[in-house]
Amino acid sequence: MTSLLTKTILAAAFGAVLATGAMAGPADDAIKARQACMKANGASMGVFVPVIKGETKFDAAAVADAIAKVEAACGGWAGWWGADTQKGETLETRAKPEVWTDAAGFAAAGEAYGKGLAGVKAATDEASFKAAFGAFGGACKGCHEKFQVPKG
Amino acid sequence: MTKRNLKALVLLAALGLLAFWLLTMPRPLGKQDWVDHVGNAANGERLYHAGGCHSCHLPDAATGIDASLPAGGTALKTPIGVFYPPNLTPDVETGLGAWTDLEFVNAMQRGIGKSGSHLIPAFPYTSYAHMTREDVLDIRAYLASLPAVKNATKPHDVFALPIVRRGLGLWKWIGFDDTVTSFDALQPDAINKGRYLVDGPGHCNECHTPRTIFMTSNMGQYLAGGPHPEGEGKVPSLRGLIERGRYKDANDIKLALQNGELLGYEKLSAGGMGKVQTNMSKLPDADVAAIAEYLASLK
Repeated sequence: MTSLLTKTILAAAFGAVLATGAMAGPADDAIKARQACMKANGASMGVFVPVIKGETKFDAAAVADAIAKVEAACGGWAGWWGADTQKGETLETRAKPEVWTDAAGFAAAGEAYGKGLAGVKAATDEASFKAAFGAFGGACKGCHEKFQVPKG
Repeated sequence: MTKRNLKALVLLAALGLLAFWLLTMPRPLGKQDWVDHVGNAANGERLYHAGGCHSCHLPDAATGIDASLPAGGTALKTPIGVFYPPNLTPDVETGLGAWTDLEFVNAMQRGIGKSGSHLIPAFPYTSYAHMTREDVLDIRAYLASLPAVKNATKPHDVFALPIVRRGLGLWKWIGFDDTVTSFDALQPDAINKGRYLVDGPGHCNECHTPRTIFMTSNMGQYLAGGPHPEGEGKVPSLRGLIERGRYKDANDIKLALQNGELLGYEKLSAGGMGKVQTNMSKLPDADVAAIAEYLASLK
């Protein structure tokens, strides 16, 4: 009886290990973090774009808040692009192989993004915000053109 | 095998070859198809941007040639090999300087090169064929107005290219529609203009309409999206953009085409669309509005 119970528990534990093996893993974690960062960027666009379009007034606090959220979500960026994160265990990624085959280009794109974000962050009024925003949006485009798989 | 059977077989093979020869023969436009038209370079420049000519014909960065000129030579990787798009500037030796207008029109609208052989449809003449002859000559006039740049481009690196070229005759016979986009009198002008720009110079179908097993556009699935022609990822459908909530209205589509990620429209960068969007941003406002209006009308 005891041995049967032990066997059952062992089998269940073994099964669970197998299941977890086929489920999440380190690559998934990296992909999840990358996607959360992109999502925060998208959300920041939701704050920035209406100002550019002239639909809402420049609000320094709202802009600072959006940027803080981006920084919080994207802080670990440098650690999310290991060679073993090209494919997730279970998650799909839109990162193209070029991220790894053109590492220098990808680093440059990241740098352009960092500069773009810093520019937006330094803006103090509507005029300087509008002037800085182009470099930020341009950096998003520049990176997606080269390193993002198109989606239907 | 009897002698008679053998003779029949030889005859059949000869007939097959003859049929192949005839079916694959390039059929260029001749003088009888000509329209007299003095090219308008300003309109040509507009169509040059609508057609995204520069995106493929830009000079290789290593040459140091002014990157804004379509001097050709930047490698274009495709599933069948690497192409080096030719020099479109008016240089006599290496560009279009020695081409006649008729040769230019035959390349743009019949996919037949100066030497008389079929052109590979990586060059989207399949769409440019839907343009009016006048508009094509306007592009010619614009190209002729550019400074001539000497830049001999590398030969294409495609396996068995001469055979592929000849075989393209069969492909054209199966699915090359060379009718000029018609105007529908029942539709508003903007819709007609948008359709013309989308189907003709814009060559949106080349990626946004899936292909049949013969690699011809599957027009039953007009602009409905599909696998990306260069392999990775998917090309979105352009139908029901409003109904599916992708865009608010035609004006939203227009802003997206004009600004892309500079207004936070993040879906217009990947898969080659970023270049298309940059080209669209150079079009007159009314043209982009017409394209947007037309796309919004597709259910």
